[in-house]
Amino acid sequence: MAVAPKINVGDDYKEKYGFFDPEKFVFKAKRGLSKEIVEEISWMKQEPEWMTKLRVRSYEIFKRKKMPTWCADLSVIDFDNIFYFLKSTEKQGTTWDEVPEDIKRTFDKLGIPEAERKFLAGVSAQYESEVVYHSLHQKLTDQGVVFTDTDTALREHPDLFKEYFGTIIPPADNKFAALNTAVWSGGSFIYVPKGVHVDIPLQAYFRINAENMGQFERTLIICDEGSFVHYIEGCTAPIYTTDSLHSAVVEIIVKRNARCRYTTIQNWSTNVYNLVTKRAVVYADATMEWVDGNLGSQITMKYPSVYLMEPGAKGDVLSVAFAGKGQHQDAGGKMIHVAPNTTSTITSKSISKGGGRTSYRGHVKVYPGANHCKSFVKCDALLLDDESRSDTYPYNDVDAENVTLGHEATVSKVSDEQLFYLMSRGITLNEAETMIVNGFIEPFTKELPLEYAVELNRLIQLEMEGSVG
Amino acid sequence: MAFTKESVEEIASLHGEPDWLRTRRREAWEVYERIGLPDRSEEEWRRVDFKGLDLETFAAFEPANGAAPGLPIEGAAGVLQQRGSQPGQVELEEELRRKGVIFMPLSQAAKEHPELVRDRLFSEVKADRDKFAAAHAALFSGGTLLYVPDNVEIERPILGQYWSSGGGAAILPHTLIVAGCNARFNYLDEFLSPSLDEPAFTSGSAEIFVGEGAAVGYVSLQKWGRHAYQFANQRAHIAKDGSARIFNVTLGGRFAKVRCEANLQGHGASAELKGVYFASGDQFFDFHTLQDHQTGDTTSDLLFKGALEDTARVVYAGLIRIEKGAAHSDAYQANRNLVLSDHAKATSIPMLEIDNNDVRCTHGATVGPVDPMSLWYLESRGIPTATATRMIVQGFFGEVVDRIPFEQARHLVEEELEARLG
Repeated sequence: MAVAPKINVGDDYKEKYGFFDPEKFVFKAKRGLSKEIVEEISWMKQEPEWMTKLRVRSYEIFKRKKMPTWCADLSVIDFDNIFYFLKSTEKQGTTWDEVPEDIKRTFDKLGIPEAERKFLAGVSAQYESEVVYHSLHQKLTDQGVVFTDTDTALREHPDLFKEYFGTIIPPADNKFAALNTAVWSGGSFIYVPKGVHVDIPLQAYFRINAENMGQFERTLIICDEGSFVHYIEGCTAPIYTTDSLHSAVVEIIVKRNARCRYTTIQNWSTNVYNLVTKRAVVYADATMEWVDGNLGSQITMKYPSVYLMEPGAKGDVLSVAFAGKGQHQDAGGKMIHVAPNTTSTITSKSISKGGGRTSYRGHVKVYPGANHCKSFVKCDALLLDDESRSDTYPYNDVDAENVTLGHEATVSKVSDEQLFYLMSRGITLNEAETMIVNGFIEPFTKELPLEYAVELNRLIQLEMEGSVG
Repeated sequence: MAFTKESVEEIASLHGEPDWLRTRRREAWEVYERIGLPDRSEEEWRRVDFKGLDLETFAAFEPANGAAPGLPIEGAAGVLQQRGSQPGQVELEEELRRKGVIFMPLSQAAKEHPELVRDRLFSEVKADRDKFAAAHAALFSGGTLLYVPDNVEIERPILGQYWSSGGGAAILPHTLIVAGCNARFNYLDEFLSPSLDEPAFTSGSAEIFVGEGAAVGYVSLQKWGRHAYQFANQRAHIAKDGSARIFNVTLGGRFAKVRCEANLQGHGASAELKGVYFASGDQFFDFHTLQDHQTGDTTSDLLFKGALEDTARVVYAGLIRIEKGAAHSDAYQANRNLVLSDHAKATSIPMLEIDNNDVRCTHGATVGPVDPMSLWYLESRGIPTATATRMIVQGFFGEVVDRIPFEQARHLVEEELEARLG
């Protein structure tokens, strides 16, 4: 049998994603967090007074809230050793040529411009804390679609912004939502008017470049009645010796008959703490779909949730997690049935390798009066070696009548029969395992646009190489 | 009234228990005094509502009184009947006695066979697990030891019956079963009392030690009256190639908190944990199960099925844990709830913690009403709705009742469920 070439995954990551440019910034806030820094960030951005006040209030809440203890050990996060804001270039580019050369090089390595040239409707790439480049097809602009970074939205669409910002995830929701509300910067703002179908996915890319940097983007998506949008975000960071923190907040409103799909491919380097709050509220006959892929980071705690507010609302979470050495992916989903006749599904696929740990943690809640709801949760886990670990923690609370609830989970290794079959066809062990893993997450990849599916398969391949032999 | 240090001493003296057991009761009492009631912010107790339970109001034991009903099954090879908190009366076939089978109240066994009891009692069901377990260990009354020596097989089942005449007291029998290598037998524990208004504090805990290659069937049938608060811990310790088939039937009580656990210690050990429950009125049942695969080549299979009526509530939370070295383990866990009324509520939380890759683990949980398609099918054949529903519920239970380890218990449980279906 041919032995697969041994590739050190870490080295490869460095070459492919771990590049870092010398930090170039026009403004960098002091290390650590205080009321003054929060006010300074707001002042730098020339924000209206209500936002400054909200930030300061959120900072107070953040200080008061206790660290969550029900999952991974987060006590190692040193909030005083983090840079909370970094402005990397003075103005936003509107065409690719205007973006500074070194930042452009970064995005070239990430493959963004090609994608943009080919078929992207709009790209908004966040480098450190602020969005540096942004474009949107003229057609969409004509239809009234707003796709911009969140800071610009606060300036240019103040009414829309104030109406929805912080209404889905208030600062007091949890410690990290409070932190984000205090120091947020960048992120995407999308408004899709009534009846408008955005045919091409809107994309954003987030990247941390500085050491000890905190990334706190804030995304707000509003799908008006009968509209449709697909938003895709990707995330990476270079490898530094000390840890970085990514703590985003994503709020989505899906109005009657609308549909929103939110796709994430998270590939932070393995020293990033990824603690994200994502929530959508869905109204009558509307649909929210979270497609959530977690490959990178040291610890991820992320449970995209859907609040089903009116009859006929539908929620869907499709989640894939891959945990390698030293990683803990604690991911899942939450479905909160507030109204009767609502339906939800959660599908989770997780892979653990080299001592990594994946946990599915989910919550299905049906409130009193939300009768005739249906919910189904399915979790499959694949363990690639005997050092790795997988857990399933599904919490179900049903307080209504005539509710149908199902949960299924399996945990197994790559089957010997399948390996034998593939190897008897002359495929090496490594290739065969990679094929099986790619097959295992196929329900996920097939939901992705082609270039992302290809990218994900490549990432899996990269993670799998050197796993045997 | 109320549990006191004196009542602990009194129970120990009453049964003439040896010093080591008295010391152990005192230690458990200290735990009881030290720890508070479970904190409802803890995950295990979050959904448990023991409102209306006041541990201060119970007498520590109950003298034998009242007339117990007849035996639930016929033709048992041995019978122990306990009334109230008094150690029970035992009958055992002479032939089994000759073969070395020991079957007697626990207090007597502590005196006569300390080598069997001392190291095992409360080693699997620990006193410091929670305040209720501590109360049980400090104040357990009566109870049973069954010891079956190596290579002894018993055809007919052994029966323990625990009767309490009424409320107001703590009725805390404890079953200790020790199976020698390659021993084979079936055991039935029946717990019952009439329904009175006064609350009672009851248990039904069991520790089952399955020796190498042994096969033990254990059925616990709980029919405490509607006034009872039951806290029970049933746990099997299974050695190499041993097999335990544990079947839990929960029908009675106003409140039941039952832990049903298999500790798979030896290679090739296997455990079946099955349960059936029927909750009606304002009954509250909480089941916590654990399939703990400590070592490799072990198998466990769990199925808990139940129906809910009226405003009953049921919580099921189960965990499969596969330890690091437990390769080639195979575990299955399923919980199915049939919700027959609009106001009944079932919560099902099946969990997995897997630390080894060479395993197969699957679990599933469902909560739902009677399937309207099945109902429609039967009705289209001219069967009235009520009968059709009943048939569906019977079929639902059939899947699990068929797995009761021995026939006599199977018939008994079928009859009990029939009676509940009305």
